Amino acid sequence: MGLLNRRSAADSVEKLEKEMTIINRLGLHARPAAMFVRVASRHRCDIWVAKEGEEISGKSIMGLMMLAAGQGSKLHIRAEGPDAAQALQEIEQLIQSRFNED
Amino acid sequence: MSSEPAVQTITSGAQRTNVPVVTVGAFYERHAKKLQLKLEGGRGGLERRIREPTINRPGLALAGFYAYFAEKRVQVLGAAEQSYLKNLTRPQRRRRFRALCQAKIPCLVVSRGFHLPPDLLAIVEEAGVAVFRTPMITMKFINAATIALEYDFSPTVTEFGSMVDILGIGVLIRGASGVGKSECVLGLIERGYSLVSDDVTRVKSLEGRELMATAPDVTRYHMEVRGIGIINVVSVFGIGAIRIEKRVDLVVTLKDWQELEEVDRIGLDREFYEILKIQVPHITIPVRPGRDIARLIEVAAMDQKLKGLGLNSALEFNNKLISLMEAQGS
Repeated sequence: MGLLNRRSAADSVEKLEKEMTIINRLGLHARPAAMFVRVASRHRCDIWVAKEGEEISGKSIMGLMMLAAGQGSKLHIRAEGPDAAQALQEIEQLIQSRFNED
Repeated sequence: MSSEPAVQTITSGAQRTNVPVVTVGAFYERHAKKLQLKLEGGRGGLERRIREPTINRPGLALAGFYAYFAEKRVQVLGAAEQSYLKNLTRPQRRRRFRALCQAKIPCLVVSRGFHLPPDLLAIVEEAGVAVFRTPMITMKFINAATIALEYDFSPTVTEFGSMVDILGIGVLIRGASGVGKSECVLGLIERGYSLVSDDVTRVKSLEGRELMATAPDVTRYHMEVRGIGIINVVSVFGIGAIRIEKRVDLVVTLKDWQELEEVDRIGLDREFYEILKIQVPHITIPVRPGRDIARLIEVAAMDQKLKGLGLNSALEFNNKLISLMEAQGS
C-alpha cells in the first residue's frame, strides 16, 4: 500500500516548460542572475534554462551568467518536480518585472 | 546604470567609548625613550593632566600676552623662547616665567638640549610644574610628541571578535559565541597568519583616519579553544603566529546558515561596519558544518587586498558581461 502511494506521488511529478524573453535593458547580468537563482532555489523542482542549445541549471549563478542573455534573448525554461508550475510562474514574474531594474 | 553597487552600513554595538586620561607622568613613562625626555625638575607636577593632545610654544605668553593662551597643551621652550628669556633682565625674566608656570599648563619641555638656569628651575619647583629636557630639535620634537599624544588620546572601544593579520590585511572576525570563531582563527594561524587578539579586541581610532586593533594586556598571546582550554599561541605555534597590533581592514561576521535569510552571492554591493565613526568593509559568511571557514576568510582577505588596489572582481566581471550582451544585441 505504502509503495503504491509513493509510486502515485512520483507519477504526479510535473514536467513543464516555457519560452521567456529577457526584457530588462542590461540583460541577465550578475544581479538579475542572483535574483533568478534565489527564486529558483526556493523550489524543490529541478529547473533548467536553455539558450541557443546550451542548457544549464537555473540554480547556478555562474551558469546563468554564462548564457550571456542580453535584452531580447529567448530563454527556454524547463521545470521538473512537484512545484514546477509555481516555480515557472514566479520566474516569469521576475523576468516580467525587469528584475526591478530600468 | 542600474548595476551600480548598493552601499549599506552596519554600526557597531560597542558603546563604551572612552577617551583616556593622560597625566604628565604617564606620558613621560610611555614616551621618554622615543622623545629622549629627561626630567629636570618639578617632580610634583607629574600628576597633572595633559588636556589637549598637542603642543604649544608659549612665546606670546612669555611676552605677557595671555589672551588665547593654549594652557591645556604641553608647552615647549625652543631656541626662540629661550633666547627671548635670555634677553630680558633677570627680575623681568623671573616674573614672566613665574606667570607662565602659574597658568594651568601640564608641563614644560626645553628642547635642543638646553638647561633651565637655576633661578628659573627654582620657580618651576615652587609652582609644581614638571620640566623635561630633550636634545631633539624643536620641530622634530613637536612632530613626534604630537603623534605620541594623538595615540594616547585616541578613543578606544572593545569589540567582541578575534583579530587576525592575513597577508597584511587586518581582519576582525565577529560572530555569536559558539559559531566557531576560535576554530577558524586556529585554522588561519595554522596557515601561517598571525593572531592579534582572540575573542575580545581593543580597537583604537587613530585621528579618525584608521582603526588600530590590539589585544587586552591580560589575554595577549592566548586563546581559548573549546575542548582544549587556554593555549599560549606563542608556545604552541611560535613567535611568528602573533602580532601586537594591526590596522582593521576588513570585518567578517560569521552567521549560522539557518539564521541567514539572504546571502550575498555576487559581491557587487558594498557593506560597511562602523567602529568609532570609521567605516570598514564588511562581509557576512554563512557557517555550516563542513565548510572551511578559515579558507573562506583567507580568500575574503585577499579579495579585499585586490579591492585596495582598485580591482573589484565582481564589478569588473559584471561590466564585462554587460558589454558582451550589449555587443550581441546590436
